[in-house]
Amino acid sequence: MSPQRAHNEVERETGHGTDLWRVIAAPIIWALHFLFCYVFVAVYCEKAGRTADLFEARLWVMGATALALGAIFWLTLRIWRVRARSVTDDDFEFEHNTPEERHRFLSHAALMLCVLSAVAVLYIVIPALYLSTCR
Amino acid sequence: MTDKAEEEQQLGKVWDSPRGWAALSDVNNSVIGKWYITASFAFMLFAGVLALIMRTQLAVPDNGLVSAQTYNQLFTLHGTVMMFLFAVPIFEAVAILILPAMLGARDLPFPRLSAFGFWCFVIGGIFVCGSIFFDAAPDAGWFMYPPLSTEQSGIGADIWLLGLSFIEVASIAAAVELIVGVLKCRAPGMHINLTPLYGWYVLIVGAMILFAFPPLIAGDYLFELERAFDWPFFDVSRGGDPLLWQHLFWIFGHPEVYIIFLPAIALLAMIIPTFAQRPIAGYSWIVLSAIGTGFLSFGLWVHHMFTTGLPAISLGFFSAASEAVAIPTGIQLFVFIATVMLGNVVRTVPMLFCLGALANFLVGGLTGVMVAVAPFDFQVHDTYFIVAHLHYTLIGGMVFPLLAGVQYYYPFATGKMLSRKAGIWSFWLLFVGFNVTFLPMHLTGLMGMPRRVFTYGADRDWGLLNMVSTVGAFIFAAGFLLFLWDCVRSKRHEPDAPRNAWNAGTLEWAGKVPADQWGLRSIPQINSRYPLWDDKNLLDTIDQGRGLLADAAEGRRETLVTSVLDAEPEQVLRVGTPSWLPAMAAFGLGGVFIFATWKLWWLTLASGIFFLAVVLYWLWTGTAEIPEKPSKDIGDGRRLPLYVAGPRSTGWWAMFITMTGDLTAYLGVLFGYFFLWTVHENFPPAGVSGPGWQWPLVAAILAIATWGAMVAARLSNAAGRVGLARALIIASTIGNVFTALALMAGPWTSGLDPTSHSYPAIVWALVVWVVSHLLAGMIMQLYCLARSIFGRMTPAHDADLWNVTLYWHFIGFSALLTALVIGGFPLLQ
Repeated sequence: MSPQRAHNEVERETGHGTDLWRVIAAPIIWALHFLFCYVFVAVYCEKAGRTADLFEARLWVMGATALALGAIFWLTLRIWRVRARSVTDDDFEFEHNTPEERHRFLSHAALMLCVLSAVAVLYIVIPALYLSTCR
Repeated sequence: MTDKAEEEQQLGKVWDSPRGWAALSDVNNSVIGKWYITASFAFMLFAGVLALIMRTQLAVPDNGLVSAQTYNQLFTLHGTVMMFLFAVPIFEAVAILILPAMLGARDLPFPRLSAFGFWCFVIGGIFVCGSIFFDAAPDAGWFMYPPLSTEQSGIGADIWLLGLSFIEVASIAAAVELIVGVLKCRAPGMHINLTPLYGWYVLIVGAMILFAFPPLIAGDYLFELERAFDWPFFDVSRGGDPLLWQHLFWIFGHPEVYIIFLPAIALLAMIIPTFAQRPIAGYSWIVLSAIGTGFLSFGLWVHHMFTTGLPAISLGFFSAASEAVAIPTGIQLFVFIATVMLGNVVRTVPMLFCLGALANFLVGGLTGVMVAVAPFDFQVHDTYFIVAHLHYTLIGGMVFPLLAGVQYYYPFATGKMLSRKAGIWSFWLLFVGFNVTFLPMHLTGLMGMPRRVFTYGADRDWGLLNMVSTVGAFIFAAGFLLFLWDCVRSKRHEPDAPRNAWNAGTLEWAGKVPADQWGLRSIPQINSRYPLWDDKNLLDTIDQGRGLLADAAEGRRETLVTSVLDAEPEQVLRVGTPSWLPAMAAFGLGGVFIFATWKLWWLTLASGIFFLAVVLYWLWTGTAEIPEKPSKDIGDGRRLPLYVAGPRSTGWWAMFITMTGDLTAYLGVLFGYFFLWTVHENFPPAGVSGPGWQWPLVAAILAIATWGAMVAARLSNAAGRVGLARALIIASTIGNVFTALALMAGPWTSGLDPTSHSYPAIVWALVVWVVSHLLAGMIMQLYCLARSIFGRMTPAHDADLWNVTLYWHFIGFSALLTALVIGGFPLLQ
């Protein structure tokens, strides 16, 4: 609220213009994964017919899921390394008027969006785990 | 006269509104915002009356108040007007009104663009609404499914389509304006983590518009080609597929629901902290979950198509995403509830509407989770259960928050207070009326009543529930009338509202009552999210003119442009003054759409030329003006440039944003190509050889050369070699013409007839799309050449060339991609 710094704040990195892109990186991975799953299976079923076995398509979907989760995990690790970004710090408000605080704020948002995107990716893959044909 | 008084006099003169008839040429955001809101509410009332007629018709079984044909027009127009003329535009309207004050800007970066958007909206809206008085209204449902809409509808479908295209123009104009506004026009020191939540929501929704509306534009484009020229994209007998329309419509349609919902709860995010008298309880959680909602909302569109026979696994993906979106949406609601719980709530009318919104939206959200489950949806699809669900989400999630916003911002906009008593009465009428109308509809739907039927037999036992709904609808309407009356009744004899009437913490309440035309007296440094609560000297600083940009010495309307992340001042932007040009341009464009509806091609062409002439004059006289001095003192010992070109300028960002939307629309058309490929065994169909690979290859090479010449022109102009730059622009213009010819040569020489089958139709659709963009690009190139020759564009002042080159990055890319797809993809088969 006030211009003063938080009590235990030390000089931190401030990030730069790519901060905003990093916030949406994980949701973009979700979107790409989602599009891939939907488009791949739709084309597969359209070309193979409704009685076709889904086994091969499911392997592709699971491969894509592993890739997407891996990418999100990698992003998470990188953001985790931003000093005192979120869950290990005792300040969740990010309301000071400094570039450091802005950087921590965006990193916090990016980190939690990684979590949300990973959950959403897992949601998407559920149907591919138990459906076995294109019916 | 003191310096300070002189400054105020300058500001007053520069920002004064035109009077008399000229008042209609105003462009100031506070005026346009009020017009925009008024117009949206007028359309809403119109659509509300349509709904009352429908409810009266359905009150008893076998009623004969209106015919089936009229009823079709009623429900189509009700949905269309509510969605396109109220729910989406009201977001733009409210944002245009309150956003600049919230960010500490004097105006939005492109006020004339706002005015243009407003006029487009009004003309398109009147055109669409008026059709019902001539028995010519669209009648195929608000999502216009072919083949009903392409084969059977009269002119109504064209009116729907062209009227809407027009309104899409207004939406994208607003998106450009608002995104640039939030990113570049915040008060100094307002780091992105201190931006009011409303600004965040506007940013997210603006970005969503860029990816959601263009697929509908692509769909409209294909749809009108089929309606007007018989190109069979959706006609199964000639290789088309109606599902293509459903995909394009709902890729737009589902995000649109969130485009409507997010800005409305953004109002809650401003109102609730004020009346809880404490900061919002989880600022970063709101931001991240709004971003998450924005993304996930694009993965839901097929849940409108659960019964179209898609494979179960496709339904599964969309069902899963539809459940997942409940997570970020829920986080936002929990943050609101937490803020209320942690604060000391002040009992006010806006707060009442906020709580009503939360309660009603919750019901809509829960039935949403139900219908996201595909097997349940199979049962209730196209029944009144869906009608109940969608009205709970839209009225609970959008209308109630909006009315809370009207109650809350009324003193901000008009300087007067609304009546507390009338507010409470209207709230309870609305709340009770709404629930009495729509709660029984869940049951009506479960008992099997389909939506969109104009009557039903007495033996169905739907009579009582329908009667209850009808009674509720009139109670709801009474609440609305009371609300409206309270807003419009004369308050001349009432005292002005006090300054900062609700003791709010955000900057929009720093203005005086009655409000000054120029917004804040001076632009203060911002150090926190709730500056009015945290900085007790802020009002003094502003009023005494101790902030930045306290004068208008050169007699120009000016606002500050700051950096995206940390809001460091970067430029003094001179914004547009009142002008008839935006309205004239809107009327020209309106003529194009309206005359095209009746296939009056010569008048369409004349309107198009008029539109182009006005826009060119507008650009020539009103943009990228070379200032009389390079920089200006803004106070506090700072000097800022008056002219900025390239990625640091607002104009470059506006071009970037517009073209992102345009590229999305192009990709929508391209999606059509691949979609049609998936539904055919042979695509291209057997016996069709076009367009061949030779001409597309030539086109691709020419496109790269043209694109390269444009980039080289910018670089050489910047290096001071003006002659070379002009030569390169000319070379690029010629290359442009040949690119267009080569693109058309492929399908032309191979004799592809677009009316014969969906394959030649989609190839031609891609080519026509790119060629029309090349044509627009040619006009821009010639414009740059003229600017250079007439000394309005120099090596140091090259904003025009930057922006046109940026346009070429997009168009070069789409020309190249088109050539590769139409020439190369058939070779892979």
